[in-house]
Amino acid sequence: MKQKSSILELSFAMGETLLRNGAEISRVQETMERVASSFHTEEFNVYVLSNAIFANGIEDGVQHTTQLRHIPATAIHLGRISAVNQLSREIAQGQHTVEEAFDILKKIQDSPFSPLPLATAACAAGCACFSYLFGGSWLDALAALCCGALLEPYLYLTKKHQLSKFLTNLSASALAALCAFLFLRIGLGENLDKIIIGSIIRLVPGVALTTSIRDFFNGDYLSGTIRMIDAILVGGCIAVGVGVVVRLISFMTGGGPL
Amino acid sequence: MISLSLLLNWTFQAAVAFVATIAFAVTFHAPRKEYLFTGITGSIGWLVYLICMHFGAGTVASSFFAAVTLTWFSRMFSFCRKEPVTVFLICGIFPIVPGAGIYYTGYHFFMGENALALSKGLETIKIAIFMALGMGIVLSLPSFLFPFSRQHRKQKGGRS
Repeated sequence: MKQKSSILELSFAMGETLLRNGAEISRVQETMERVASSFHTEEFNVYVLSNAIFANGIEDGVQHTTQLRHIPATAIHLGRISAVNQLSREIAQGQHTVEEAFDILKKIQDSPFSPLPLATAACAAGCACFSYLFGGSWLDALAALCCGALLEPYLYLTKKHQLSKFLTNLSASALAALCAFLFLRIGLGENLDKIIIGSIIRLVPGVALTTSIRDFFNGDYLSGTIRMIDAILVGGCIAVGVGVVVRLISFMTGGGPL
Repeated sequence: MISLSLLLNWTFQAAVAFVATIAFAVTFHAPRKEYLFTGITGSIGWLVYLICMHFGAGTVASSFFAAVTLTWFSRMFSFCRKEPVTVFLICGIFPIVPGAGIYYTGYHFFMGENALALSKGLETIKIAIFMALGMGIVLSLPSFLFPFSRQHRKQKGGRS
């Protein structure tokens, strides 16, 4: 239990939670430093990358801790980022002891993801709205709604079976294009392109792009580059997944452009 | 130049963008009490995009101005609601992320229309770069420029 109540452990766990749920580098670094300094650690140095934290500090005069930990990229959970932010603010104001903070952090780490029905409804609504915004008709929006409702359960399945990111995006965008075509065939929807654009918006690397830009402008060029490459690869995967399906469909329906 | 029907259309589109942004806020598990503000961020971004497009600014410039405005609003909300900027920015940015560009690039690329694919691909990258620039500029502005920030209140003589 000695290890668990350590200040460095706490700071480290908070940084890890932030990084896992998609915060930008400077926030992780700032939070960790703020926590360490508000509990008066003698020395604390930290270096954060987009998938690893390197921290090193002196606690109680003698104890010297060095830690490296690899952190795989997982799903975005903005609620946890916000909660850790709140916790670190309260710690800086001196409201919590280390043990209390650990308990709160544990609760934050266990805060649930949205249940699948809610996530599906959100994804479907989002797809329909974007299909309309990008110039689709009402029918297109309806078709995108159905595509979105199929896409989210598929993404849930791929996550559960730990399909690689590359393959997930490739297959999910292909699925979106295929669904769009099928709905078009049974008379739901008017423009194939608008339905597909609406449906793939769930996969588009908006988060990676935004976070990468924030890292760049904060001077964390290495992490920014890693995330930028991530965004470009995901974007490329989507383009390939959709493009291949559209090409196959046009072959089967007589070679003309759709 | 701006007729009533156009205004109505803009209002409706902003409302759709509002719902779309909230849908993404749910997808990314944003705190429930911030849904309203993420929605406002997204619809303002889309509204600016529409207005710029109407006055002939082109997709790249429109994305830039939309990014600037919505980032400004998400920073303001982050000060006012005491939440990380990320919460508002990630959800609000989605309407102007070039999803259509990615689709058309892939489409033309695989249909063998190389010139079109290249021009669409370049346009997508341009949009992404200018979006990034707009976001980056506003994110690096000093915080006293934003209402509700601590320095701003101090300058106005209020209590923080």
